[in-house]
Amino acid sequence: MSDLLDIVRSLALNRIDKHGDQFINDAKAVYATAETGFNETRTAKYVADRLSSLGLPVETNLAMTGVKAILKGSKPGPNIAVIAELDGLLVPTHPGVNADTGAVHACGHHAQIGMLLGVATALSDDEVRKHLSGSVTFVLTPAEEFIEIEKRLTLKEAGQIEFLSGKQEMIRLGIFDDVDMAMMTHTTSGNGDSAIAIGGTSNAHVSHQVKYIGKSAHAGGAPDQGINALQAATLATNAINSIRETFRERDVVRVHGMLSRGGTSVNAVPSDVLYEGRVRAKSVEILEDIKERVIRCYRAGAMAMGAKVELIEVAGYHALQQDPGLIDVFVRNARKIVGRSEVTVNKPDQTQGGSTDMGDLSTIMPVIHPYTNAAVGVGHGDDYLVEDYERAVNIPAKIMTATLLELFTNDSLGAKKILKNHTPKYSIDEYVEVQRSRFSSTLYEDE
Amino acid sequence: MTPKSDTKSAFLNNVNERSDELERISQDILSHPESGYKEQRTSELVANWFRTAGFEVQTGIGLTGVAATLDTGKPGPHIAVMGELDSLVVPGHSFADENTGAAHACGHHAQIGSMLGVAAGLSQAQIKAELTGRISFFATPAEEYIELGFRESLRAEGQIEFFGGKQEFIKLGFFNDVDIAMLTHTGGETAGTIGVGGSNNGMIGKTVTYIGRAAHAGGSPHLGINALNAAHLGLAGIHAQRETFRDSDTVRVHPVITKGGDAVNSVPANVQLETYVRASNVPAILNASEKVDRALKAGALATGATVEISTSPGYLPAKYDKQLTEVYRNNAASLIGDDNVIELPHSTGCTDMGDVSQIVATIQPTANATSGTGHGIDYLVENYDLAVIKSAKAMGLTVIDLLSDNALLAKKISGSFKAPMSISEYLSRMRGFRSVTMFSE
Repeated sequence: MSDLLDIVRSLALNRIDKHGDQFINDAKAVYATAETGFNETRTAKYVADRLSSLGLPVETNLAMTGVKAILKGSKPGPNIAVIAELDGLLVPTHPGVNADTGAVHACGHHAQIGMLLGVATALSDDEVRKHLSGSVTFVLTPAEEFIEIEKRLTLKEAGQIEFLSGKQEMIRLGIFDDVDMAMMTHTTSGNGDSAIAIGGTSNAHVSHQVKYIGKSAHAGGAPDQGINALQAATLATNAINSIRETFRERDVVRVHGMLSRGGTSVNAVPSDVLYEGRVRAKSVEILEDIKERVIRCYRAGAMAMGAKVELIEVAGYHALQQDPGLIDVFVRNARKIVGRSEVTVNKPDQTQGGSTDMGDLSTIMPVIHPYTNAAVGVGHGDDYLVEDYERAVNIPAKIMTATLLELFTNDSLGAKKILKNHTPKYSIDEYVEVQRSRFSSTLYEDE
Repeated sequence: MTPKSDTKSAFLNNVNERSDELERISQDILSHPESGYKEQRTSELVANWFRTAGFEVQTGIGLTGVAATLDTGKPGPHIAVMGELDSLVVPGHSFADENTGAAHACGHHAQIGSMLGVAAGLSQAQIKAELTGRISFFATPAEEYIELGFRESLRAEGQIEFFGGKQEFIKLGFFNDVDIAMLTHTGGETAGTIGVGGSNNGMIGKTVTYIGRAAHAGGSPHLGINALNAAHLGLAGIHAQRETFRDSDTVRVHPVITKGGDAVNSVPANVQLETYVRASNVPAILNASEKVDRALKAGALATGATVEISTSPGYLPAKYDKQLTEVYRNNAASLIGDDNVIELPHSTGCTDMGDVSQIVATIQPTANATSGTGHGIDYLVENYDLAVIKSAKAMGLTVIDLLSDNALLAKKISGSFKAPMSISEYLSRMRGFRSVTMFSE
């Protein structure tokens, strides 16, 4: 059987080599039309057209802008998702900012689209496809970056979304109901010397819309009549800073935010101030404790000034748990393609502190979220650029293709073993219930 | 009946004859400073002076206060002429007590001289015969609102109730039948002038304790609750209120951290602050106090600490009587010339003369006779003739105007004075300021 696998793999990887320039062009085309989460209409259309041209049945407008295409093998078997994220970021000083949308791919999601098309192209070759025992679902997910919260809450209010990220919404909408496991590869500038890195976790998070409600008054003529909501927010951020010493390193706590509304006019006492906060920690459970303490700080700012504060809690991401069996298969294939020394396997608890909605997916099925070292600069910074497109697009496409072929080979023995050994944290229904319970709105006044 | 001018001349002569002695007494007190409720020596010196002068003397009023009364024998208005016994604590002042750091950096020693000067000048049968009513001399303890811990312990022992000496005098009934009160303070305005009018802020005092949880500051800060951070946030919260204080209320909030922690390698679990909340009127004091309290509580809320805020009555705002001021102004002008009597601005400092001014017609002129900064190490009385002798003369001449002619003027002023509060209202208001609030979540 392994001889056959070798033959099929060569066939598939050759196809990626043959069309490699196209996949890189795909990534660059998407880069040029960067759009933020739930607005990725042009990006989605581009990918949908490309998948259609491969002869795959394509569903669009899933969770607003998501795309799904199923490639069925010759025999029934597990359904494995290959995921790419559609959305860009907002980094106004980045040189690649799209003039129309203000968005930019400062997190390399465009490369994910190129690699997904590479995998789809390789596997949709009839000679390859007939050896698959199962199916591959290509899922283009909207809105992985958890940003523009106010706008997304408006979408939520209008009933267009319920959860604020693409994978969360897609889980809720049943798009992953028939998927057994999932993989994607993210670009990075931070693997050190090796080309590919896998393993490790990511932080859980929660998002806070903290609205301080004061009382407007002439800032020069009658400041005694006002209640300064900006002072309340400032005191709250100072308070948060003062409790940082109580955060344990091993909990990987991150508390950060921005003042998206700091007042209306400078000659009026600010009475409507919006602080958007984010609390992260290595698990949803630890997050609960940290979050309560941060909320006290929000309230203290209001209390000190005699202001009111309305806290809208928005369910964020879960910590990423990558499946060890799936990691093993990926690592084996990555080593074959880039060489043993070019693959780093991180410890399961390693994290930089960021978050991804692949974490949410990992609570319901086995997933992997490896990194390919193809960028320079700081992630989410204005100097983050994908430089090595071969590494950004074609190499991860090859590794994921080879990984899939190994999982499907021998009547999907490898995939079935992974599923047998995996116990998901939640069922899909449980996950949806947990996420719903993480939304709340509370008004604190007269404290 | 002798013409009033003759009575005044006799009074001035009497003061002149005793001027060396009066200045010497002031300088003696300067050299033996004692802070509030500790003025044993100063009190004894004053009491002995009155005894020698033939007065019946009451001592131990509010621990160290002294009272003596000159009775004309004819029933009538009652005037209190006062001097403050206490010093500040200013180590480094050239007349500071080596052991205690006490120093007369506010010129109270000169007040005693001027008060005794009034007594010396009026204690003569021919003068008494021309006057109607009584003149009491009150040497009052503890005008400076300091050493709160010590005073709190006196309070706990039941030795005093209030932190200001005049407040104790009021509580003990010494002002029950007083109609008019006066005291001359030293001041540092244009040298050689006397200031009249003006007003003072009132205040309340707060002692604040943040209670956190100690833990190894390096090894396990996550197990601690940092009371110092709570206090810092409380202070930051107080500062954030400042823009809401109205100019006309002249609010002052000026905290100090009296205890910031125990050991640097332990999360501070007990941190203490003291602050005043001052303003020109009682509603503004209460408004600012409420803001200060909520800011202090917010520090505790943010960190999970507990805060205890203990509020004590301070002094009430001082408002000086306009008619009385005019009588005094004329007499001061007769001594130093019209141009040298100046109008005082509102002062954001506080005095327990404020409390007195809420219940009787009061003035507190200033004799501008000093150099240096009030309460500073360089504050010195330079002009003892003005600070003691002329001050005594201006007050004594005013008393003569008030109590001559069957005390017509005193009766008029006293009759038209509308006391903001009665003594019993005063006492219940002051007691109402006292509160202890615990807050934690």
